Amino acid sequence: MTAAATAITADDVLHGPTDARRRSNKRIGVALLFVLPFTLMFLAFYVAPIIYAIVDSTFAMKSSGLGFGPQQHVFVFLDNYMAALSSPDFQAGLGRLFLFCLIEVPLMVVTAGVLALLLDTGKTLWPRGFRVIYFMPYGVPGVIATLLWGFLYIPSTSPVLQGLSRAGIDLQPLDSGNVLFAIANISLWLYAGYNMIVLTAALNSIPTEIYEAARIDRAGEWAMVWRIKLPLIRPSIVLVTLFTIIGTLQLFVEPLVLSPLTTAINSTFTPNMAAYNAAFAKNNSSVAAAMAVIVAVIAFAMSIGFLKIVNRKGSEAW
Amino acid sequence: MTRSKIAVAAGLVAFGLAACSSPAQNPTTSPTANESTEPLTLTFQSWVPNIDRAVDLFNEAHPNIHVNLETITAGPDGGYAKMFSAVQAGNAADVAQVGYDWLPDFVRNGAAEDITAGFQSSASLFQQWGVDAMTFGGAVYGVPQASSPLGLYYRSDIFEGLGIETPQTWDEFYQAAKAVHASDPNRYIAAFAYNQTPWLLGLSEQAGAVWFEPENDAWKVSVNDPETKKMAEFWQKLIDEDLVKIEADMSNEWYADIQNGNVLSWICGSWGDAIIRGNAPATSGKWAVSYLPQWTAGAKDTGTWAGGSANVVLKGTKHLKEAIEFAIWLNSNPESVSTLVSIGAGWPALADTTQIPSLQDDPTVFAFYGGQNIWDVFAESDKNVASRWKWPPLVSSLYTSVTDNVKASINNKTPLTQAFDAAQAAMVAAMRDAGISVVE
Repeated sequence: MTAAATAITADDVLHGPTDARRRSNKRIGVALLFVLPFTLMFLAFYVAPIIYAIVDSTFAMKSSGLGFGPQQHVFVFLDNYMAALSSPDFQAGLGRLFLFCLIEVPLMVVTAGVLALLLDTGKTLWPRGFRVIYFMPYGVPGVIATLLWGFLYIPSTSPVLQGLSRAGIDLQPLDSGNVLFAIANISLWLYAGYNMIVLTAALNSIPTEIYEAARIDRAGEWAMVWRIKLPLIRPSIVLVTLFTIIGTLQLFVEPLVLSPLTTAINSTFTPNMAAYNAAFAKNNSSVAAAMAVIVAVIAFAMSIGFLKIVNRKGSEAW
Repeated sequence: MTRSKIAVAAGLVAFGLAACSSPAQNPTTSPTANESTEPLTLTFQSWVPNIDRAVDLFNEAHPNIHVNLETITAGPDGGYAKMFSAVQAGNAADVAQVGYDWLPDFVRNGAAEDITAGFQSSASLFQQWGVDAMTFGGAVYGVPQASSPLGLYYRSDIFEGLGIETPQTWDEFYQAAKAVHASDPNRYIAAFAYNQTPWLLGLSEQAGAVWFEPENDAWKVSVNDPETKKMAEFWQKLIDEDLVKIEADMSNEWYADIQNGNVLSWICGSWGDAIIRGNAPATSGKWAVSYLPQWTAGAKDTGTWAGGSANVVLKGTKHLKEAIEFAIWLNSNPESVSTLVSIGAGWPALADTTQIPSLQDDPTVFAFYGGQNIWDVFAESDKNVASRWKWPPLVSSLYTSVTDNVKASINNKTPLTQAFDAAQAAMVAAMRDAGISVVE
């Protein structure tokens, strides 16, 4: 910085201040040129669709009579939001989503953390091999994973359930009481390995000197986990939790694919399914946009809320 | 559950629209200088497997028109949404596959061309109730392709083994269900397909229900009419006595049960043959098809599986005349229709099906049914379809509300009849929300 500042001063002396300004303008121009592709893409594929969705959510198509005449595109302001929020189905979907969050988020973070810590003890067999094995499900697309699990969840196609049934245990994973756990299991299988890698990377970046110092102070493995490892990978745990909250709120693929297999999943099982159903089955993009905006606002609020809680003063020691 | 950014949910819908509006390919070739030698190109969107064979026949017979087949997602799974968006964006295909049940929504959204002028001279080629289903306010909006008159597919070998006669009435069906389940606790006469509104709807139609009737300038909606409730109570009895297997049809579970003889019958349209034959080849020779069981002995009442399937000329085509010509030829040329029958497109929507070679003799099909000419059953069923059934707009709202409520009543063990009451309320509300006039 100092060198650059000095150089500008030297330029000022040689060519006068106007030239320096021209040069700094040129630099801004170069910077803009570099930022431009991202900005354009960001505006076109991120900001514009959001604005489009918000605008669309305030309109509705209205027919008349038997419904075969031309329709009118009318401005209804917040009617679509009121319709979505006052619908018992949509409310039930939101409730289900929060319940799923309560099940899935702790399960995911604890599983990923335990796997990462186990592989990090240095005492496991083939830690690299296991890391790859745990991570592998992440490479399977969600739809395929759900189809695979769907086979395993249905008694007539599942060797596991058939075996359990022979042993006297009659498990119905897709019954209304179990279906959220069945979905949580698929998500866990898919993403725990990914989250484990994030935590493993954080664990690997802890300097070995700290462990040496701890050993000199006679710290055992447990003490090292609680006093060193977990506090030092705290930012990564926060990140994994945040990702899981956001991912959970977007619950869509698993219930959609499982829906034909069970009476426990209807077309509005989660808010995203309700939005999808409104847009692609009912051809009503405005209501769908309103539902999507509601989910986005909730995800935003929950993410900010979570970060506020973990970042407030005094919470540094958990 | 993608772990991308927060507002992806908000972008989902808008992205869907954006993705749909980007043209996959130029639907029509712009006129060029050498137009006289270059064949004119039409785009046809369909999801019927192997329909390219019929399209190829058209292309061979028409050197001046080349039809490009664009295989798309099945309509209710997103294909229709794609078509609506493309029409809105002004780059739709020329001709598209549309179910009878969805056609009113195409008319409502202004997505179908009025083809009355080009179609009228050929109207007599097609069966009357199919043409009626294409007609709104005196104008024709589609060419009927195939209809779905229902028949009863059943495992004749097991029925015979148990000494069960083919059920002629629903009461005999109930008695047969008891005999089947008594023979083996894992065996059921049929699946109760809670996922399949068209199936429930066909059963209601057969019981004499008319869910939608235009009255003056309003729809009379009666999803929970007494006929429907009679049907619902019948299946309720089978469910309560554990005589039907509660499972989605055309699901992995159901395919397994069809293969291993745990589900012995299926009420479906003529295209059900392709599904059973394709998925349970080992049961060849063990099936038969009969006319639907009746509410009154000796009657010949029948229903359809969501009406049937049509070809619609989408709004905005630059070649209206050729598009209509293609849609009519594809669905009335005997060779083309014969091909459509053998690929499992459905029962031809023609007034006279005696000229269709594959309907007269189809050794591979008939062998699967122990030599029975199963098309005779569907020909008779097709003749008896009551044309008073009318499809309203917003059919997808009807389907989701029936399916959701039937699922809920199975799940919560509440009466099926209540599911139809709830579906009635939901459908009336959905229609009124859209500004459509309803009388109950």
